[in-house]
Amino acid sequence: MSKNMSKKAIFEREFSIVATLVVGAGALLLSFPLFFEEAVGEIDWITIPMVAFPILGSIILLALASQQPRGMKEKMAFPVKAASLGFSLFILAISSALFFGWLGSIDWTTLKINEYNMNHEYTWINSLGISWHVGLDGLSFPMLWLTTLIIPITMITTWEENSGWYHHPLLLLMEGSLIGVFVALDMFMFYVFWELTLIPMFFLILKWGGKDRRYAAQKFFLYTFTASVIMLLGLITLYFLQDPSQYLIDRGVLTGRTFSMIDMTNNAQMAANNGSVWLGESMQNALFLMLMLGFLVKLPAVPFHTWLPDAHVQAPTSGSMVLAGVMLKMGAYGMFRLPLTLFPHALAEYQYLLLAIGMISLVYGSIVCLGQTNLKRMVAYSSVSHMGIVILGIASMQPLGFAGAIFMMFAHGIISPMLFSVCGSFKHHYHTLEIGSTRGLAKASPFLGVYMMFSWMASLGLPLLAGFVAEITVLVAVWMTFGWWVLLPALVLVITAGYYLWSMQRTIFEGSGEVVLPEGMAVEDARDISPWENIGNLLMALLIVLFGVLPWIIWDMMSAYANAHFYFNMGGLLNLVAGGA
Amino acid sequence: MTSDVDEGSQAVWQQLFSDGQTLSALMPEFVMLMGIIALIVVPNLGKARIRLPLTKIRIPWLFGGQRFKATSDPRMPAIISIATLLISTILALASLMGNATRWILYSGESTNMIVLLKVDGFARIFEILFFGALMLAAVATISRMPASKPSKNLSVKALIDNRRQVDFHILLLMSGLGMAIVALSQDLFMLFLGLELASLAIYVLVAFHKESKAGTEGGVKYFIVGATASAIGLYGMSLLYIWHGNLQVSSHIFYADSGVIVIQGLDRAFANADALAYIALGMMLVGFGFKVSAVPFHFAAPDAYSGASSPIAGVLATASKAMGFIGLMRILLLISLPEGDGSAAWLICLATLSVITMTWGNIAALGSDNPKRMLAYSSVAHAGYMMAALTAVGAWRWGHISAPEEAATWVVTAIMFHLVVLVTFKLGAFLVLALLELDGGASRSGALSGLARRDPVIAASMFIFMLSLAGVPPLAGFMSKFMLITGIVNVAAGDAGSLIASGGITAFGDLHWVWWLAFAVFINSAISLFYYLRIGVIMFFEEAESDRRRPLPRAWFLRLAIWSCALGAFTFGVAGDHLIVLCNNAAESFFALS
Repeated sequence: MSKNMSKKAIFEREFSIVATLVVGAGALLLSFPLFFEEAVGEIDWITIPMVAFPILGSIILLALASQQPRGMKEKMAFPVKAASLGFSLFILAISSALFFGWLGSIDWTTLKINEYNMNHEYTWINSLGISWHVGLDGLSFPMLWLTTLIIPITMITTWEENSGWYHHPLLLLMEGSLIGVFVALDMFMFYVFWELTLIPMFFLILKWGGKDRRYAAQKFFLYTFTASVIMLLGLITLYFLQDPSQYLIDRGVLTGRTFSMIDMTNNAQMAANNGSVWLGESMQNALFLMLMLGFLVKLPAVPFHTWLPDAHVQAPTSGSMVLAGVMLKMGAYGMFRLPLTLFPHALAEYQYLLLAIGMISLVYGSIVCLGQTNLKRMVAYSSVSHMGIVILGIASMQPLGFAGAIFMMFAHGIISPMLFSVCGSFKHHYHTLEIGSTRGLAKASPFLGVYMMFSWMASLGLPLLAGFVAEITVLVAVWMTFGWWVLLPALVLVITAGYYLWSMQRTIFEGSGEVVLPEGMAVEDARDISPWENIGNLLMALLIVLFGVLPWIIWDMMSAYANAHFYFNMGGLLNLVAGGA
Repeated sequence: MTSDVDEGSQAVWQQLFSDGQTLSALMPEFVMLMGIIALIVVPNLGKARIRLPLTKIRIPWLFGGQRFKATSDPRMPAIISIATLLISTILALASLMGNATRWILYSGESTNMIVLLKVDGFARIFEILFFGALMLAAVATISRMPASKPSKNLSVKALIDNRRQVDFHILLLMSGLGMAIVALSQDLFMLFLGLELASLAIYVLVAFHKESKAGTEGGVKYFIVGATASAIGLYGMSLLYIWHGNLQVSSHIFYADSGVIVIQGLDRAFANADALAYIALGMMLVGFGFKVSAVPFHFAAPDAYSGASSPIAGVLATASKAMGFIGLMRILLLISLPEGDGSAAWLICLATLSVITMTWGNIAALGSDNPKRMLAYSSVAHAGYMMAALTAVGAWRWGHISAPEEAATWVVTAIMFHLVVLVTFKLGAFLVLALLELDGGASRSGALSGLARRDPVIAASMFIFMLSLAGVPPLAGFMSKFMLITGIVNVAAGDAGSLIASGGITAFGDLHWVWWLAFAVFINSAISLFYYLRIGVIMFFEEAESDRRRPLPRAWFLRLAIWSCALGAFTFGVAGDHLIVLCNNAAESFFALS
């Protein structure tokens, strides 16, 4: 691999890599029996364009770029970045086309629970009853769209960082895995993609992170992996509690059972219609706790949140943006998809536990936030407290609360990448993350100042911005169920808003025209953010305003999902709600 | 025991060596034997001539004398052994396809008939595993212990390597033959025969590189502990012989022309087991426990693995372990499972052993700096996972499970799948270490530093192997661990599924306690992830050591072997269905009586 490798040697090596990849992909496709397509005649827009394409594309980009001789690698950075951005924009175009109905009108608001649009199933591992089953509904489509939005924005915002040639393909790999989580309708497939997301994030933190990146990356991987395997054990136990019927066509040939979420939900629904508690109370409670453990750690909820501040502070900007923007939402999404749908009785049983966890996350996250001097750590703890709001929405057990929680997932998914990109820009241009080391930012970097203020306003829930819709609906739902307890989160939100305003005011506006810079920085060095960062932040800001002013664009499908969850299929759940609808 | 008769073909009974049919039944093994003979004869072909006594006529007698150039080329033994292994693998595969005949080979007549070997899917899949692992090791050794064309200017090391090519490959093929016999055997003594043939060859292979102290020390330790364990196992077998009268594993019914011959095996006899039988069982557990490196019989394993050359350590970790598991499965699942209600006698004992094994292996690996030692302890942990799955079968007739045979078959399927895919990523990891040994040594974790910069493809392959060992999707290691867990939870849940469907209620406490073994396996997986990730961090994060900055050796054969393993680890993870079905058929034939 010396610089002076002959053209022949380069060709040989590239050829062998490409040949291996082609043979591998061919072997994969051949052994992937695409025999059973349920919805005949409908094009499957999900499997190839949105899941397989980013994953295979990123692997090909990584493989080809890695085989270049050393001198060429730096020159590969631009084409590889451009290719990754192009791929992700293509995927964004498809998901937006699905949203706005340009690929045929799709109705999201009349779906019942357990009904999915673009539902496609292919046999995969027949002996165990595992199928490649994809579909979207009012819960997963906003998350899908969020992912396809955030990844290109992340790529644009971090375009100019000197991150080498395999940073952007890793983001593309991340995108494919995240999309796989949100479209999976088979529990095995869900788990595979769930764990797959850990690998690119591990590399992002390890390669481009801060001083303690080694510790943070390992802690992140190990902590979430441990919780996930407990969740997997719960899923396997659930699998074996099915009635083995080896003569049904769509069951596993060797075990007589299936991993399909649709089947599970049907079973749960039948039991609910009978009026009985599906699987028995103690079993349901145990399974609920096992599954929730995996999701609560991912969310993260106090007391399982300790991996998040380390991971965020040490991660590079792009890693933080994707981690906070989309990965944390996987936890909440998983909660809705599995334990909340399948185990309503357990949800009612543990409602107060969830209320406590949500309250503690919100209050603890906010209070710890107040004590931070590191900007990124402050944003990390604010993420913890916002996810506490999601849990509060779930604990309220109201359709409004569920919809508010889902909207919070979406809104926070746009706001927190913006917060992290602003932190990243701050670090990039001022070489520090300490709050208070700078004053009068507005004069030195006006654009940065604007975006910083805007993102903090969005985060604390200023009306007409997306965060407000989420917070107000969850608080109303908490009031409906728990009454005056709502004062606690409301007051905490006010206090934290006050602190943010104060610290931002110091950083951005104080100084009466004089800029106070961190030690060692001369006035001439203070620059404003680059055009790429500008575009990325502007896009996020526009989206936040859009969904703040016109939330019904996306609220309708979320609220339809939440209502369907309650009224159409889980009638029994209504009787279990403490305090009525 | 399972009374199912195979729906398709009945097995064909054939007296061993009575006519040519034996040959067609045992083609792969015969090819192996021919390969060994070829390795002895071919390099010794020369221009020897024998003079007839009392005359002056000299007849060319090709054995000896000035060796021919072509056949005594030092590169020839590797070619012969790889060709032999390849042909044997293809023949074994061919005998799996379609409506293959199953053979039962016996010796003796009517009243003293002994069933010796059974050729079925179970045996053939294990043979493919053995031959495949040995083939990969042989291919790796072409690079690891290269044979150079004879010339005047060879170094001392090259000359020594040329001299010992034949020894290495003969030993490799002998161990392969022994392993094949273990897979085929239906009689405990026959199993012991094959076990010892393979083990003795492997003891020498571990100590093969005489010039390294670590190798010799590891080899001697492994030999002494192994010989002791085998001796104890043999003593247990002899006690069983005294107790029962023969050493047949399963009972058979043979419809001869003269009437029905019934061979009472140990499985029926164990219904009336007494102290002698249990002591014998315990002793045999020691013997096989050493082979699979279970605690507390594993103490020689880390030294052996780190002292042997990496391809041989890989064979130890995959093929030799599979051999031990065949023995364990035979004595635990065929002989000593109870007929009526109640769990197996060894349930608690094996459960404890498996939990201790997996925990000890993982915690010891956490503290290892030597990558080969770490992989040895991870082998111990993987043995623990498989033993946990075996334990679950022992709980089979505790009153809550109506189809225990299916549960047992599923566990055997899972164990077979795990052993087969273990070849891809465990042997693959050892092959990467072999490449590093060529580069200057792989006995410190510093050898792996900065591998990502030196050789991204090899580093990526190593990372795939590490993730697969930890059980991260979508790799084969995840699929196999998943299947082991499903085996355990299947038994733990038992009939709960149909009970719930018919309106009953099941409490969480109704799950059999073996469910907690599944929990232990998962927690141990999480623990193990730390040291597997640590390898990844060292490769991708740290700078290469100052005296190891140059690119890795070309070693195309070794690299080819590594890439095929990585491809296999990925493919079996994503598309493992065919292999699962194959293993399931083999597991059914394992339990079938005829």
